[in-house]
Amino acid sequence: MKRLGLTTFSIRFPWIIIGLAVALTIIFGAQFPKVSFDNDPENMLAEDEYIRVFHNEVKTRFNLYDFVIIGIVNEEHEDGIFNVETLGRIDALTRELISLRQNADGKPEVIRNGEPFVPTLESASAWNRALAKVFGNDVNRLFAEDGSSAIIAPEIISPSVVDNIKQADRGQLAIEYLMEAAPATREEALGIRSDAMNNPLYKGTLVSEDGKAIALYIPIVEKTYSYNVANLVEKLTEDWDGADNVYITGQPVAQDTFGVEMLVQMATSAPLAGLVIFLLLFFFFRRLSLIIAPMLVAIIAVIATMGLLIGLGFDVHIMSSMIAIFLMPISVADSVHILSEFFDSYHQFRDKAKTIRHVVGHLFMPMLYTSLTTIAGFASLATTPIPPVRVFGLHVAFGVGLAWLLTMTFVPAYIMLFVRTKSLEGVCRVQEQESCEAPTSRLDRTLHWLGGFSYKRWKLILGLTLIIIAMSIVGISKIKVNDNPVKWFTQNHRIRVADAVLNDHFGGTYAAYLTLKPERIEIPTCAERVEMMRNAAIERFSKSLPEASAIFLQILDETNTKFQLLENADIDRCFVDLVGQAEGLDEQVSGAWSELGDAINYLEPDGLTYAKLTAAIADMGDEATRIIFTTRMADFQKLAGADLQSRALDIVDEYVALSFKDFLFEARANAGAPAFKTPEMLTYVDRLQRFLQEVPIVGKSSSAVDALKKANYELNYSTDTPTERNADFYSIPPTPSAVAQVFTQLEGMKKKDSLFHLITKDYNEVNIWIQLKSGDNTDMQAVVDEVEAWMAENPAPVELNVGWAGLTYLNVVWQDKMVAGMLNSLLGSFVVVLIMMMVLFRSPLFGLLAMIPLTVTITFIYGLIGLVGKDYDMPVAVLSSLTLGLSVDFAIHFLERSRELTKKFGSWKDAIGHMFQEPAMAISRNAIIISIGFMPLLFAPLVPYKTVGFFLATIMAASWMATLFILAALITGLQKYLFNNNNSTED
Amino acid sequence: MNKLIIAALLIGSAATASAELTVDEIVNKANQAAYYAGDDGRAEVEMNIIDKSGSTRTRRFTLLRMNTEGGSQKFYVYFKEPADLYKQVFLVWKEVAEGKEDSRWMWLPALNLKRSIAPGDKRTSFVGSDFVYEDVSGRNLREDTHELVETTDTQYVVKNTPTQPGDVEFSYYTVRIDKDTFLPRKAEYFDKNGKLYRTVEATKIETTQGFPTVIESVVKDLNTGGSTVNTFSNIEYNIDLKENIFTERFLRRPPREVTR
Repeated sequence: MKRLGLTTFSIRFPWIIIGLAVALTIIFGAQFPKVSFDNDPENMLAEDEYIRVFHNEVKTRFNLYDFVIIGIVNEEHEDGIFNVETLGRIDALTRELISLRQNADGKPEVIRNGEPFVPTLESASAWNRALAKVFGNDVNRLFAEDGSSAIIAPEIISPSVVDNIKQADRGQLAIEYLMEAAPATREEALGIRSDAMNNPLYKGTLVSEDGKAIALYIPIVEKTYSYNVANLVEKLTEDWDGADNVYITGQPVAQDTFGVEMLVQMATSAPLAGLVIFLLLFFFFRRLSLIIAPMLVAIIAVIATMGLLIGLGFDVHIMSSMIAIFLMPISVADSVHILSEFFDSYHQFRDKAKTIRHVVGHLFMPMLYTSLTTIAGFASLATTPIPPVRVFGLHVAFGVGLAWLLTMTFVPAYIMLFVRTKSLEGVCRVQEQESCEAPTSRLDRTLHWLGGFSYKRWKLILGLTLIIIAMSIVGISKIKVNDNPVKWFTQNHRIRVADAVLNDHFGGTYAAYLTLKPERIEIPTCAERVEMMRNAAIERFSKSLPEASAIFLQILDETNTKFQLLENADIDRCFVDLVGQAEGLDEQVSGAWSELGDAINYLEPDGLTYAKLTAAIADMGDEATRIIFTTRMADFQKLAGADLQSRALDIVDEYVALSFKDFLFEARANAGAPAFKTPEMLTYVDRLQRFLQEVPIVGKSSSAVDALKKANYELNYSTDTPTERNADFYSIPPTPSAVAQVFTQLEGMKKKDSLFHLITKDYNEVNIWIQLKSGDNTDMQAVVDEVEAWMAENPAPVELNVGWAGLTYLNVVWQDKMVAGMLNSLLGSFVVVLIMMMVLFRSPLFGLLAMIPLTVTITFIYGLIGLVGKDYDMPVAVLSSLTLGLSVDFAIHFLERSRELTKKFGSWKDAIGHMFQEPAMAISRNAIIISIGFMPLLFAPLVPYKTVGFFLATIMAASWMATLFILAALITGLQKYLFNNNNSTED
Repeated sequence: MNKLIIAALLIGSAATASAELTVDEIVNKANQAAYYAGDDGRAEVEMNIIDKSGSTRTRRFTLLRMNTEGGSQKFYVYFKEPADLYKQVFLVWKEVAEGKEDSRWMWLPALNLKRSIAPGDKRTSFVGSDFVYEDVSGRNLREDTHELVETTDTQYVVKNTPTQPGDVEFSYYTVRIDKDTFLPRKAEYFDKNGKLYRTVEATKIETTQGFPTVIESVVKDLNTGGSTVNTFSNIEYNIDLKENIFTERFLRRPPREVTR
């Protein structure tokens, strides 16, 4: 028999098979040391994915970094966080982080109290240290290859190093850090509070509005440093006692921590699941020597698959870390079928080789097909647009294939070599089990009863199934596709706690960036500029200087005509041309006044009298001008010194204020102003931000407009003006030039270029930093939708190109892709499996029937997810492929045996009793082993593992019921169509 | 001071030539050459601020300088370009006497606003460029201890260590000074981890009215990849500036010396 070729060979030459298996394990196992890990959800998207490329462009354009967020909360002190001691600690911590460097031993070192200090970064727990060692996770890895710090010190956001612009003594304007030095007194501490609260960029971001918390944002070179930076901060703040609580969060930390803990899970959960499976197998089969085989199959399959993955150079990603967990039940399932049969059939032959041949001959087709369908289910993941899922799917498929091969060869070889004939002597038949052991007999009795029930009450079962399907469809309609990497941690995980505490105090720890730039940057042509100037000139000059105004307009028109003749005329040329003529015009109109003013200006104010002043201007300007001047000065002749001088200059200024040259410069600045130097566009951003403030999930938004308004206010602030007048300056300056001059102050702050995180250097693009209180994809999507709707209703003055970036937004994108991708791959593999079933059973009807349990199971599981409100996230999506693979297995075994037994006993009525003996027993054992085997996952600190554990159990239970009840009931209902010719299976 | 003496002694013993200068003499001469040429002076400056990606922002301004008593100086900076900064003015009174602080004013014409700025950190960016105020007006010699670390055929190499390390972002900087002109040619700043992160270099020098003068200087920020190039033109010395130009009155109404 051809199908037995492999097995026969294995029985004959078991040592060769064992040898090959050992060699395989060693070869693949040897790849393990090359392992590298990747816990970046960003890699869920291909590197050339548009949004990822855009995200990185935005990061580069605005110099944005990934942050480790350190929240320091003091709920107890009457001044909250703003007390001398806590601020001192924060200042010291900031300086320590800035000073991070590598010492002579290559260890991280900071400067504490002026002395080098080497913190102990290794975990106090030996177990954690050992794990870190195994996974090559070096906590001292805080430096790039050239020895530079992982922390981008100049970009740290902390009260000690962020700019503050404020009023100082004697009407001076001070530009300094918010906390230049740690405060020494309560007054100083409270002064820092009031400065921080008065800065819109800091309130809700750097300091909490309730004054109880401060957040430090530590930018890091690469996300992969975040776990170590978080660890460093924990160690540096270890000795903080009392009411100061330190919380560390931020998406990179969450991701990195997840990665590290994922490894711990890989190292604990999977072996633990293996152990439980082992114990269950032992419980069912009571032969240690027998059940070692399936365990070895699982272990070899896992080692080979992971070895292949590592050997091919793939990183172990969140997805691939689950390979072991997925492979284990599948590989065990195959061998359990063989074992179960072997166990039940041995008594017939009393010979290992014969029994094996019998069993394999029996199970070859169903096992081949169950494996092929599982392979199809996982391989279909290769069609998804998400690289780690593709890698995962293909490798699991490989592992399943290998497990099948091992089951066909290694298990027989193992039985031949290591299972002593003597130990099999006491093996019971299923029918005789009552006399052998109680627990299995209960299962047996139950199964027997179930068989009867399925046969007699098939209509009821099908009716109930329809009801369940209907309810599930309702559930499916309620499914919420959502994910949030922080929610991958359990509720009391420190990351979740930190996340909750900090989002309670601050505007939100989830960042999204909304970038706006004009769709087209249009540089006005010379003609357009002249037109703009013309209109502005009429407004400015026509009333006060009608004659000169007319001349000026004429000059403009001439220039226009001249430049219209030239193609591609240099725009600045038309301006330069005009300046000379405007100067001439100014000379005509107010030249005399300028001369007068200049002369007065250069006078020494000390000892200046009216007489000296008139003497100095005696031959300046022209007669007429001097007469007007002296007339207007008549009332001020008593003044002297600087007062006299400024009075005189004020009068002169009235006449020279209307300068055509100045007008030209102004017009040029206005016409050439980039989008976000124009008050109209900035006002639009301001309005958008005010709208964002109304969106509930948005904690805060920050933009260059906030900085601009604050700077404008502080620049214009005067102690001599009433508060309301000062408050009026909390606004966008009225002209592009005024905007530019305020922005220039911000460009030259102490922390250089911090403005350019919010606006590009050419002022053509702004970045609105939106802080969300939740990282749920649905919440992020809601914000995007709200903004889109608002912008549709409130169009900007010029058409805008709107972009979204930030890790929170990136998650939305890959989530969308994943859902669509998974759905496609599920549908694809469904069709493939259906065709395989039709081929296997040589019957379309049987083929369709085989699809029923998995269809019901998937519908039910998705319905359940929808009904209980569990988010449809990454682990759930991947589980559907597993469902497809496992549920169809049960159906294949069940249908194949049904057909066989019906043929043997003549009718389904007679066969069903037997169906619910060995075949049902094998299916039930499988279901129980897998569902209970993965219970340990429920205790994992990571939610995706819990989800997998829970759903594996549910899938098993549902598939088991769907197979034993629904399939049996359907066969009963359809028996006359199914079994009217009985010779279709054997060839 | 002890350090200086020791440094001087070391140099003295190492030097073979008889008329070697002490490190203090070298830094004093360099300071004079770089910042005090003539009694006063004027220059047109084109400043190109170039970022990592190569995009450039250009600023043009006229600079007036006048030496006053005791090594103090006054500066008047008048902006011409870009158009939106037209007529903006910075006025600085630099004080070198111990315990006295600089005074700074600015005039923002589009806001019709004159503001006095508190004497703060002199190592903040000069109008958003990679130059800091101290590069423009000179760092007070008293703020560092100086050590002559190398003498080549053409240059002295002086290492400067701040006396108040907490006030500045560097741990020390070295300056290469030309032996013939005493002009500092290249300053290299090292951060607290001893890594070179910033250089200021005099890339072109010409002699004007007998004064060796830097006509192009480049500062590079190695951390950000940005750089700023200052090009000086129309340089004049000893133009007999009146001191009252450097007063608040001339903020709103710029002097002829800068407008023409």
